[in-house]
This record gives sequence, C-alpha cells and structure tokens, in this order.
Amino acid sequence: MEFRIAAEELRKALYRAQGIVEKKTTMPILANVLVTASKTGVTVTAFDLDIGVVSEHPAEVLKPGAVTLSAKYVFDIVQSLPEAQLTLRKLPNSYAEIISGPAHFKIVGMAPEEFPKLPKEENAQLAKVSGSTLLEMIRKTSFAISTDETRYILNGVFLEPREGGKGRMVATDGHRLSLVERELSGEIKLKGGVIIPRKGLFELKRLLDEAPDAECQLGFADSSALFKKPGLTMVMRLIDGQFPEYQRVIPKEGERQISVPRVRFLEALKRISLLSADKSNAVKIQLAPGVLRITANNPDLGEAKDELEVPYQGAEITIGFNARYLADVLSVIDTDEVAFELGDEHSPGVLHAPGDKSYTAVVMPMRV
Amino acid sequence: MPWPKAIIHVDMDAFYASVEQRDDPNLRGKPVIVGGHPRRGVVLAASYEVRPFGVRSAMPMARAVKLAPHAVVARPRFAAYADASEQVFDIFESFTPLVEPLSLDEAFLDVTGSLKLFGTPSQIAARIRERIAAEVRLPASAGIASVKFVAKIASDLAKPNGQKEVPPESTRDFLAPLPVARLWGVGPKSEQTLKALGLRTIADVAAREPKWLERKLGVVGTHLWELSHAIDPREVVPDRGAKSIGAEDTFEEDQDGPEALAPHIHSQALRVGRRLRRAGVKARVVQLKLKYSDFKLVTRRVTLKEPTDDGQALYRAAMDQLGRASLERKVRLTGVSAQELRSDGEQQCLFQAGPRRAEKLNSALDKIADRYGRGAVVTADLAGDEPDDRDDETRRKVGASRAGGRG
Repeated sequence: MEFRIAAEELRKALYRAQGIVEKKTTMPILANVLVTASKTGVTVTAFDLDIGVVSEHPAEVLKPGAVTLSAKYVFDIVQSLPEAQLTLRKLPNSYAEIISGPAHFKIVGMAPEEFPKLPKEENAQLAKVSGSTLLEMIRKTSFAISTDETRYILNGVFLEPREGGKGRMVATDGHRLSLVERELSGEIKLKGGVIIPRKGLFELKRLLDEAPDAECQLGFADSSALFKKPGLTMVMRLIDGQFPEYQRVIPKEGERQISVPRVRFLEALKRISLLSADKSNAVKIQLAPGVLRITANNPDLGEAKDELEVPYQGAEITIGFNARYLADVLSVIDTDEVAFELGDEHSPGVLHAPGDKSYTAVVMPMRV
Repeated sequence: MPWPKAIIHVDMDAFYASVEQRDDPNLRGKPVIVGGHPRRGVVLAASYEVRPFGVRSAMPMARAVKLAPHAVVARPRFAAYADASEQVFDIFESFTPLVEPLSLDEAFLDVTGSLKLFGTPSQIAARIRERIAAEVRLPASAGIASVKFVAKIASDLAKPNGQKEVPPESTRDFLAPLPVARLWGVGPKSEQTLKALGLRTIADVAAREPKWLERKLGVVGTHLWELSHAIDPREVVPDRGAKSIGAEDTFEEDQDGPEALAPHIHSQALRVGRRLRRAGVKARVVQLKLKYSDFKLVTRRVTLKEPTDDGQALYRAAMDQLGRASLERKVRLTGVSAQELRSDGEQQCLFQAGPRRAEKLNSALDKIADRYGRGAVVTADLAGDEPDDRDDETRRKVGASRAGGRG
C-alpha cells in the first residue's frame, strides 16, 4: 500500500477519530485507526465497538492496501510535518512509513485483519435532516443527560419522531429534564423512539460542528443509528431499553407564572451560588409581589442575596433549587425573557421561551 | 482556677449485668455473668459481685465459668440495653448538646457552656448520676476533668457508682504517679517498649525532653509527652458535627465467608443509617472495615453517586466493598462507617423511584423503633439473632433536643 495525500486531509480524518478511539482498552487495536487505500481514495476508520466513523479523503493512490496505526501518534506526527504533502507506505510486518520532504517516520502498526468489522447498515432508511437543527437540539438537551452509569437508560438522549416531520429530543438525569421539538427537513422512519448514547451524541455534535450547513442524513436500523454527510459515515449502537414516561413529569401549567430577564437571572444565580453550602449549588428562590429574590447561605462562609424585579402579584413562596440546573437551562434559551412557572415547594419549576413550549425544561426543587 | 473546658466522662457500671439485675430481682446482689455460648462465647459483662473471682469482660466464657462456678449466667438482651442506653443519653442531652457517644454505655459531655445554668462540673455530674439512678435505675460513674483522656481515667478510678473530679490546676499531679498504660493509645505492646526505656509512670514520661521521646518512639513520642502534660486538644464531637458515624462489632467467634459476615454488616449499616437520620445528615462515602483473625486491618471505601442516610443503601455499598476484600482468612471484626457527611438540602427526583420509598419506609421504621424499641421490627436476616450493640453508639430521640441546643 502506498499513497500521497495532503497532510491537512489526513489530519482532518485523524481529528475525527480522536474522540472515538479507546485510550484505556484491553484491546490495543481499538487505539488504532484502519487506513485503507483504494482506487477511489483513502478511508480512515475509527471504531470502539459501539461507535464507528469512516472518513473518506481524496488521495493519489499508487498501490491499494490497508494498515492500522495509532490514532494518537499519527495525528501528532501529521500535525508537525514540514511539508503540505506526505507519502504513507506500508512496510513488511505491519510497519508503515510516513515521508514528508526530508522527514521520515517508521511506525509500528498492527495487522488490518485484526481490526473489528463495523456493522453493515444497509437496512437503515435514511432521511434528510438539517445539520444546524440537529446541533441546536443536541445543545439544548445534552447537558441534562445522566452521568450515573447505574442508570444507563438515562445515559443518552431520547429521539422520537413527531407528527408533521418533526423530531423531539428529551434528556433527563432524574432531577431535571430538557425537551426540544423541531422540524427536521425529512421524515425520520422510526417506530416509537430511540436512545442515542452520550458519547455518540457528542461525536455527532463534533462532526456537525465541522460544517453545520452540509447536507446530512440520519437513519435507524435494528439497534443502530446511521449518520451520513458527504465524505463521512457514522454508525453507532443505541441504548437498548425503555426511556421513562417523560410526559408524565411535565406539569401542564404552573400556578405561578412570571417572565424573567434571562441574562440577569442567569448571572444572579451564578453569583449567589458561590455561597451555597457544601458545593451543592443550593439556592433559595423567593417569589414575593414584584420581586424574585435569590439567597444562599453557607455555615462556613456566610450568606448572599440578589433580587430581580418581576411582575408577580401572588402569595409569597420560597423554593430551593440547584442553581446549576437552572443556569444550564438559561444558557441554552435564546430569547431575552424566559417564562418561569412554579407550583408549590415540592413541585418542579418549568422554564421555556415566553409563549413557546417547543423547548421546555423541568427542574425539580431541593428540599431546604 | 476557672475551668477552661469542663468535660465529664460518664460510664455505666457493668452495664449489661446491671440491667439484668435491675430487671430480675433474683439476680440482685448475686454474681452475674452476661455472655453468649457457655463454651465458645466471651463474657460481655460481669457484675461487681463476680469480679473478685477474676471474671472480666472479653474473657472466654469457659474460663469465667471455671473461675466462678456459682455465678448466674444470663443471655444478653440487647434490645433492653439499647432502651436503657437511650434513656441515659436523653438525660445527657438535657444538660448539654455536646455529647460524644463512645459506645452504648459511655460518653463524653462538654458542659463548659452549661456551668452557668446547672452549677459546677461536679454538681452537674452528680445530677446526671442521680437522674440515671432515679429514672433508669442503673448505677453510673463519672470523671470530671478539663481534658478528655483525664476525664476517662477519673471515671475509671471512681468506679463503681462514684465520681471523681480532677481540677485543672491539679491535673499533672493527678497523672504523675499513674502507670504509663493509662495514657491514651498505650497498649500492652507499647507499654513494654516504654518500660524498656525506663518509663514506668506518667511522671517519667513528663520528665523527658519531647525531642528525646520523638527520637525513641517517633511521632507517638511527642503525642505521649503532650498527654503526660495534660495537653489533649481533642474536642467533644457530637454526631451532628461529626466527620463520620460508624458502628462496628468484634465477634464472639471469628467468622468465615461473606454469608456469615453479611448479617453483621447489615446490622451495622442499619444502625449507622438510623444515626445519620437522627443527626439530620447524609453520607457521601461508605467505608467497610475488616479485622482478620491475625489482627490485620483493612478498609475499603466507596463514594456514592448520591448522599444517603438509608441503611439498606449503606449495606449494599458495604457489601460491594466486601467483594473487593480478601476473605481467605477468618474475620474477627467488621465495621461500617459513613463519611463525608453533609446536611444541605436534598435534591428531589422527577421519577419517584427507589429513594423516595426508602425514605418513607425509614421514617416509619424509626417511629416504630422510637415507640416499641429497636427490636420491634428487624430485617429477616437479623431476626432471631438480635443485633450486638456492644461497640455501638446508638440512641434515639436526640435529634430534636440536639437541633434545639445548637440553634
């Protein structure tokens, strides 16, 4: 195997692989990428048995073939080459050499036959989707995904087709929930919904970030998802299980509804939670006629208070919240004002854009 | 000289045996041994009537019965001891919120803040002992001093049914003639080391240069020198301010394998859970302690995803840790301790799953235990085999008075 390629092309392929290859693994081959040269060009494949990315690149192929090489070291090498072009050539015993101008690297690889096969996803029915919409949906939900490995069903985002070509994403860690519904340009063929794992979702986000406006396709088959955009294919294994009945925990309408200036509320939460007890981010939110008061106290440090003027005329109420949960939501809402709905001390708080529930966040209170 | 700090160490006299004598008039004035199996068990308590025959707690039962064949042997009734303990701790709490339990029948009280209210330290100690005698009908001894370890020595010297005060200015004179073994942390082994160095009394230690002691004994040397000069900065730490809350038991016989250990760990975890709830705190870290038959000690700890005060959750975490420890040797002690305690508000859940149910259950069980004693409802693996509370620090109903006291 031998080919000439632009260093930038190979760098891009290896960059895509960085998040997927396993650094600490009992299977050393999973730290490698599979580099395949054929008449049409070069493909670089990374696979951790759950997520696989195949990246296609133009190259001048002198001799077809395949090698596997360390994703990390070759990435570092390619970034530090003296010239814009490089030649990669396979040597006997799974060695490979990289030549760029006078610089020469001889690298230990592994036999390509040892690289695990990616699942074939011919059954997946692909639908066109807008990359920038997908990105927005991921950004508005991914922070609420649970990191508790014992609740693996919640270690991903639930994607569900809705009427009229819409898609809905829901994420929850059991304490808060984030839901977004958007129109995807094509109709996703799906019965019920699927759970996309956290790692796969973040890799997808990275790939979308490269070029949000590129034409994208998304499809599902059996227990896998397939994502395509020009020059790139991604497959990932989905989380197998039943996502909780999330509709049940979204309150219909809060007793108390106020409109709050978003940035002002966000900043106040951040500064008051500096004095939360035991790094818990616990703050008390007091709603009284005309004012929303945020307080925190820490027996070792002291106490803090901030106030916002709000158009509220009901009975006074104090509810405890994890300030970070509220701040996470306020950071992803795009409007200047936010609708904040509250029930009693034990009922969840609900946040959304005023008059628009296509993005809705639910945050459970803290007992304080 | 005023009291810079007034500490009372209260220790119940022959606690288990005294409870037996209280509840069975036939045993009063008679030699009583409380213990387990007559051949394999150990003595848990010996009444003062049987002590002249050389019977001591922790001695094998077989030997005790040989020394005092005329003694009455009573099987332990731990629920009764726990109830008595609770009443006693209620009395402590009515004098100061700063009560540090050492075991079921022993505690340190910091009464520095109570002097204006209740009189001198000795008067307070006397009132505590009078109330225990009147309300619980049990004898207790007390030591009064300005530092913890001296108070403990004093209560020991005051036994039975007495009290001894060591005023701050005479602490060093009080300590001087005592043997080195009286210093905190000096066991039979270090006692030999000290004797080999020519140090027999506390005065011998006090007379040495701290540097010399450090050279011979390491950091322990400095510590012993400080104790010999009555320097003991340790505070009385109530559960509410404690860094950790734990329960452990030394078994009558060494236990073999996870199945034999599980009920003990379960009982300890449940006890710790109760104390966490009473103190109004939750633990982030659970530690399991194992002491093997060769006295080697290992600990295994885990950080929980969410802080808990649920005994069952502590038990599950502790059992996971047991899986990480070697069980090739027999085990003579297990202990469960809850660490990194926090009392901040608790995050509520969207999907009311496990935690909520456990909470309701615990609150119901706590109420039953408060009313009918902790033996009233037990888990199946512990049923019929009453939990062994010798080294436990269990008591109930302290939450309210404690919270009030700390304001």
